[in-house]
Amino acid sequence: MISFLKKDSFSRDACLALLSWVFLIVVFFIIPDPGVHDIIQKVFILGLFALSLNILIGYLGLIAFGHAAFFAAGAYTLGLFLQSDFIKIYNFGSFSIPVAILLSILVSGVLATFIGAICIRLKDIYFSFLTLAFQMVIYSIILALVDITGGDQGLMGGFPKPPFLGIDLSKPFDFYAFTIFISILVILVLRQLIESPFGYGLRMIRDNAERPAALGFNNQNHKLIAFIIAGSIAGLAGSLQALLDVGAYPEWAFWAKSAEPLFMILLGGMNTFLGPLMGALIFEILNDFVTANTKYYGLVLGLVILSFVLGLKQGLLDWMVIKFKESRNKNAQNK
Amino acid sequence: MIKRNKHTRRTVIKNAALGIGALSFSAGFPSILKADDNIKIGVPTILSGRVAQLGISVTNAIKMAVNKFNEEGGLDGRKIELIIRDSRAKPDEAARVCRDFINSDNVDVIVNAEASGASFAVQEVIRESGTLCLHTVSETTSLTADPSIRAWNAFRFSRQGIHDAVGSAKYAAKIIEKKGIKKWMSINPDYAYGRDSDDTFFWALEKFAPGFELIGKGWPKIFQPDYTEVITKIAREKPDAIYSSLWGGDLVSFIDQASLYGIFKNTEFFAINLADYTTMNAIRNLPKGLHSATRYVAAWPDTEENRAYDKSYTDLYGDHPTNWSWEASIAIDYLINALKETGGTDNKKLAEALKGKTIPSFMGVGEGNTVTIRDRDQTITNYSIGWGTTIPKEPFIQDVQAANWDTIENLEEEWLTNKGWI
Repeated sequence: MISFLKKDSFSRDACLALLSWVFLIVVFFIIPDPGVHDIIQKVFILGLFALSLNILIGYLGLIAFGHAAFFAAGAYTLGLFLQSDFIKIYNFGSFSIPVAILLSILVSGVLATFIGAICIRLKDIYFSFLTLAFQMVIYSIILALVDITGGDQGLMGGFPKPPFLGIDLSKPFDFYAFTIFISILVILVLRQLIESPFGYGLRMIRDNAERPAALGFNNQNHKLIAFIIAGSIAGLAGSLQALLDVGAYPEWAFWAKSAEPLFMILLGGMNTFLGPLMGALIFEILNDFVTANTKYYGLVLGLVILSFVLGLKQGLLDWMVIKFKESRNKNAQNK
Repeated sequence: MIKRNKHTRRTVIKNAALGIGALSFSAGFPSILKADDNIKIGVPTILSGRVAQLGISVTNAIKMAVNKFNEEGGLDGRKIELIIRDSRAKPDEAARVCRDFINSDNVDVIVNAEASGASFAVQEVIRESGTLCLHTVSETTSLTADPSIRAWNAFRFSRQGIHDAVGSAKYAAKIIEKKGIKKWMSINPDYAYGRDSDDTFFWALEKFAPGFELIGKGWPKIFQPDYTEVITKIAREKPDAIYSSLWGGDLVSFIDQASLYGIFKNTEFFAINLADYTTMNAIRNLPKGLHSATRYVAAWPDTEENRAYDKSYTDLYGDHPTNWSWEASIAIDYLINALKETGGTDNKKLAEALKGKTIPSFMGVGEGNTVTIRDRDQTITNYSIGWGTTIPKEPFIQDVQAANWDTIENLEEEWLTNKGWI
């Protein structure tokens, strides 16, 4: 069993993913506190958002400042679709939520294709600021289309959550289990992608873009596909967030929202696959605990990030992995 | 005594965040009041950023009313416990804080002291949970007027845009007649409230004084520091009058900067949000003769009850209450009445007790100085709306003229019908 877990394979990842999901389902019943469940599902939603950004930052070396545009696109797509008469006219009925989620991923993906096709031609700070510029365009569009998006008040009036396949998302357990299942499933798929030749191609471009190009590698295509995948996953995270809050808000497309996954990546680490998820956990706990006890949220968050940057000089999970490897090597040498 | 689960959210979080704990400090509400049978009220509000002062004034008012209730023995010994948290004016954060109140703190009531954007987020959370919610700040009409947004368990105790618009237009029409004003401009913040205010004011003005000419509009961004662009536009167009729904620090900056250009010498300025103490005190030299609605001033309504309210607040906090303060005070008065009437915290019974209820109030102008929570849309009516002109020192406003609620409700009905909301 232990040797099976040591071997890096899809079966191992799938097994761990399933075990994690079952474990979190058990947690739901062991800790019957809706607040804890709320935090866990929020960590997974934000974790997806941060993991998607880390495809660009951690594996491609492209720092995108406008990632929240895709998060907001996913959220608004889901909300607008569920509020529209479309679902009645075409009789989506109980399948309106899965269709809405798929549509959110699709719309975010299409948006990422358009934005990515332009942005990936640039690099460094020019890439970062162009993504930011596109995000602010999306933000302005959301504010301007008051009749459709609700403008700065956001999408108001809620939307229905009809049950599908026996899953009723208006019930806390169903929502919890569904959100975590979808998140873990996407994390599992993303992990396979990152460990595939495609994922190693991204690392090659990050480390020395000229070398893979000289070998006949199409860097631009690779970067664009990564950008589309990152945008689509951020869109999925946005749609899950919209389902949780039963609304969508223009603040989700503002530049400050793009800073959140950056903080999570800084806190959790960008070199370990699950670092951003760990970052989301720290970020959410900080947010919950600090706002519950003091109004100096920004100060505390700043100090914590400063302590990570100056103290650990990396994210927590990166640091833990390095320490673990060091201690393992030390033990091996001693033997 | 109710046995509590050992693994509560707070204990999990506190254990995980011990290191951070040293940096934090308690919100400061007396721990002696934290008993299991307390009536818990969650208050999401804005305690940081440019409007933090207003957030503080609303929580002060809530604490003042709650402390009085607790000192008088509470509800058969049950005290009210307040849990106040900062949402940083972010809608998703307000939704999270609200879910936290409901799920972790098991609050009985949400007293929502958020501005409009976040109030709509709170509305969706309480619509799902069924928790009783008292909105005390948002003035956007649609929150309770639009049937698709309204919720059975949500009540509004704050002013409403359309009420103010009608009162403002009626007053402006009198000044138009008196001074022969023809050309108008408007300067409003570029977000939903500003646009609503602009639309409803000029719609109502057309009813009372048709034939005016609207020669230009300025839409500064909210929290914009520099208004030169708007001011030069006014100087160029030379309107007879300006209508503005700028508020707080934005209005202070605009008046300070426009005064330097002498804008107010030849132009009548109608600022709906000016006569509030935090705003007037912050203006360096408050020009004489600006027109403003009475957001909150001790001088209006000119009653003993209102002056007593101002005094008790000022004695306690060393500062005057604000518009947000009186709205929250009335909400808590209503809640306490409903708690006493129903004898418990059943949300459905409390909602029934609030609906259509009329109570005496220091801000009431209904029969016997009362305010009413209208049954139809669960929103407050018959609160004091007045307009007057400014003077640079206390009481800051003079020649106040009261708005007529029959006129307000008649035009409100026409406006709601046009919108398809009734």
